Amino acid sequence: MTDVDIVGLGVWCESFSNWDEFCSVLEGGSGAAGSALKPEVIAPNERRRAPLSVKMAVEVMDQACRMAALEPSGIATVFASAIGDMQITDYMCRTLADAPRTISPTRFHNSVHNAATGYWSIATQSHSPASAVSGYSNSAWIAFLDGAIQAVEENIPVLVAVQEVAPPAPLQPVYEWTHPFAAAILLAPVGYCSSPIASVRLSVSGDSIESPQLPQIPGIDLSGNFAARSISLLAAIEKERDAELRFPLSRYSSLSISIAPGCRTTRSGSWQRSPRQP
Amino acid sequence: MRLAIGSYTATSAAGVGLASLQESIEERRSGLRRNDLHGCDLDTWIGRVDGVEDVSIPPHLDYLLSRNNQLAWLGLQQDGMLQGIARLADQIGADRIAVIMGTSTSSIGRTEEAYTQLLPSGLISDEFRQPEVHSLHSPGLFVSEATGLTGPCMTISTACSSSAKVFATASRWISHGLVDAALVGGIDSLCMSILYGFNSLELVSARLCRPFDERRDGINIGEGCGYALLAREELLPEAELALLGYGESVDAYHMSHPHPEGEGAVIAIDRALERSGVSAERVDYVNLHGTASQANDRIEAHALARRFSEQTLVSSTKAWTGHALGAAGILEAIITLQAMRTGLNPGTLNCEQPDPELAFPVLTENVRRPINYGMTNSFGFGGNNATLIFGQIND
Repeated sequence: MTDVDIVGLGVWCESFSNWDEFCSVLEGGSGAAGSALKPEVIAPNERRRAPLSVKMAVEVMDQACRMAALEPSGIATVFASAIGDMQITDYMCRTLADAPRTISPTRFHNSVHNAATGYWSIATQSHSPASAVSGYSNSAWIAFLDGAIQAVEENIPVLVAVQEVAPPAPLQPVYEWTHPFAAAILLAPVGYCSSPIASVRLSVSGDSIESPQLPQIPGIDLSGNFAARSISLLAAIEKERDAELRFPLSRYSSLSISIAPGCRTTRSGSWQRSPRQP
Repeated sequence: MRLAIGSYTATSAAGVGLASLQESIEERRSGLRRNDLHGCDLDTWIGRVDGVEDVSIPPHLDYLLSRNNQLAWLGLQQDGMLQGIARLADQIGADRIAVIMGTSTSSIGRTEEAYTQLLPSGLISDEFRQPEVHSLHSPGLFVSEATGLTGPCMTISTACSSSAKVFATASRWISHGLVDAALVGGIDSLCMSILYGFNSLELVSARLCRPFDERRDGINIGEGCGYALLAREELLPEAELALLGYGESVDAYHMSHPHPEGEGAVIAIDRALERSGVSAERVDYVNLHGTASQANDRIEAHALARRFSEQTLVSSTKAWTGHALGAAGILEAIITLQAMRTGLNPGTLNCEQPDPELAFPVLTENVRRPINYGMTNSFGFGGNNATLIFGQIND
C-alpha cells in the first residue's frame, strides 16, 4: 500500500492545451483546438531544437509544477512512454536505410528516451534524479506506481509525465492512434504540501484486468493512445474526487488507485505561479 | 537498506557467462574486433557477441523476436541464472519478484530492419508487425515472459545509465514492500542507429579504444547483457555480496556533453556514499564509466579527484567489452562484483600511456588486493548519472 498526495496536474493534446481547457472539455465544452505548443519553460533556442515529444513533456511538467507552486529543481522526474519518440525513430530508420552517414547528431542525441527529462533538467537547473521508463501499453500506471514509491522512499516530490506521439506512417498498422497526448501528475509525500489536490492510496494485486474505456472527448479520437488512458484518472481527480479505480500493470497484475478529495481546486484562479530562478 | 545479491551473470564480447569473462580479464584479452557487423561500413572496432543471430528464443515468444531479445535469451541461459530465478520463485512466489530491465535502444535493430523492407504502400511488412518489439519495453516483456516472473515489470531507458538505475529502482521497490526480490538486468545489442549516431557525433574511434590513455580518440560500441537477483537479506542467506547504496543525479548541463566540472557525477557519487554509509576512503575499487572519449575520461578523473585518494584503485574495463550503452551499468556492476569475489582488480586494458593531464591515476595492470567496498559509475546522454556501491556481507 502506498499513500501519496497529488499536488499538481498538467495536460496537452491537439484539443486542449492545459488543465482549464481539459476541464471545460470534460464538462462538454469544445476545448481550444489548434493552439500552438510553445513551452515557456525551455529557452527559445532549445525550443527550436527540441522535438515535439520533448515540447509536450516539458509543457505538461511545467503546468503541474505551476499548479503546485513548487520549485522544479527539488523534484525528481519519471517520464514514461510505450514507443518513445517514434517520429525520431522514423527519421533515424529512414536515414539509415538511405544514407546512414548523414544522421544528424542533434536528432541522434534527441533520440534517447530520457531526452525530455534532459531538457527539463537543463531548463530548471535540477540535479534531482530523473528516470525514463516504459511499461508498453501500461506505461502510465507502472510510472505512476514507481513515482509514488520514489516519493515515499526518498521523501521527495516526483513529477510523473506520460505521453505518446503519433506513430509514423510505416508503423500506423501497428499502433492504433493518430493523435499525440501528454499528461503530468506531480506527486508528493503525504503532508509535504499543505493543500493537496487529492490524496491517493495505491495497491497492487496479482490479477489481470482490461484497460477501462476512456471517457469520450469531443472533437478528438484519443482511443488507442496508451498515454491517453491516464485521462480516466485525471477525470476522476477532477470530477469525482472520491473514487476507486483499477488499471492493468501487466498481463499478471493490476493497480488500484483510491482517491480521496484534497482541499484545493485545480483551477488556475486558485494558485500562484511559482517563483523561478533566473 | 542493504540488499543481498543472489545469482548473477554477464554476456558481452569479453565472454558469454562469468567464467569466460573472468578468463578474458585475467589474461587481459580484449573482446573487441574490427567492425564486421553486417551492413555497417564504419571504420571502427566493435564488441560483438558471436552467434547472437543464431540463438533460438522459446517458440511461444516468437512474437518478440529481435536481435536484442535473442541476446537477452542467450544471456539468461548462462551461469544457472534461470535455475536461480526458478529457485527463488519457488521459495517466495513468482509474483513477489519484480523484473526491472535497463536498455538504451531496446529492439530498434528490428525497426531498422523493417524500414529496409517497406512495402510499396510505405507500411512495414507483416513479418515486422510486432507492436511490443518496437516499444522501449521489449526487454522487460521478453524477460518477464521468458522467466515466468509475474511481479511488476518495468524497463528503464536513460541512455548509458539505464542498467545502473535498475538497482536503485529495485532497492526502492523492495524497501517499500512492493516486492521481496527483483530480477534486474540490462541489455543493448549492436544496431545501425547507435553506430552511425555516435559516428555523427565524432565519438567513434577507428582503433581499439584506449581509456585514460593520452592518445585516446573515442569509443568502441559493444553489445551485451547482464542480470542479477536482488532480495531482502533473509531470503538469500548464502549471499556474499550486497548492494549498499546508489546515487542518481542529472547534470542539467547539455544533452550529449558531460558537465565540464563533473558536477552531476560528483552529486551521484556523494549520494551513493551517503546512502551506503561508506566513506570515500574506504572504497577499495571503482569501475569507471571510462568510455575513452576525450571528455568523459578527463571529467571523470576530475570528479574522482574531488572525492578519492590514490589508495582507491580505479579502472575502466571498456577495452574488454566496448561501450555497451544501456547494458554497461549492469555489466560493470557485475565486473565489480567479480572483482570483489576474486580479489582481482582489473587494470585498465589498452591504457599504455596514461594521460598525465588527467586529475586522477587509473590502475593499468591487474592487481590482487581484497575489495571490501566496490563502486561503479555510469553516465549517460541527457546528463543522466548513476553510481552504485557494493559491499561484502561478512565484512
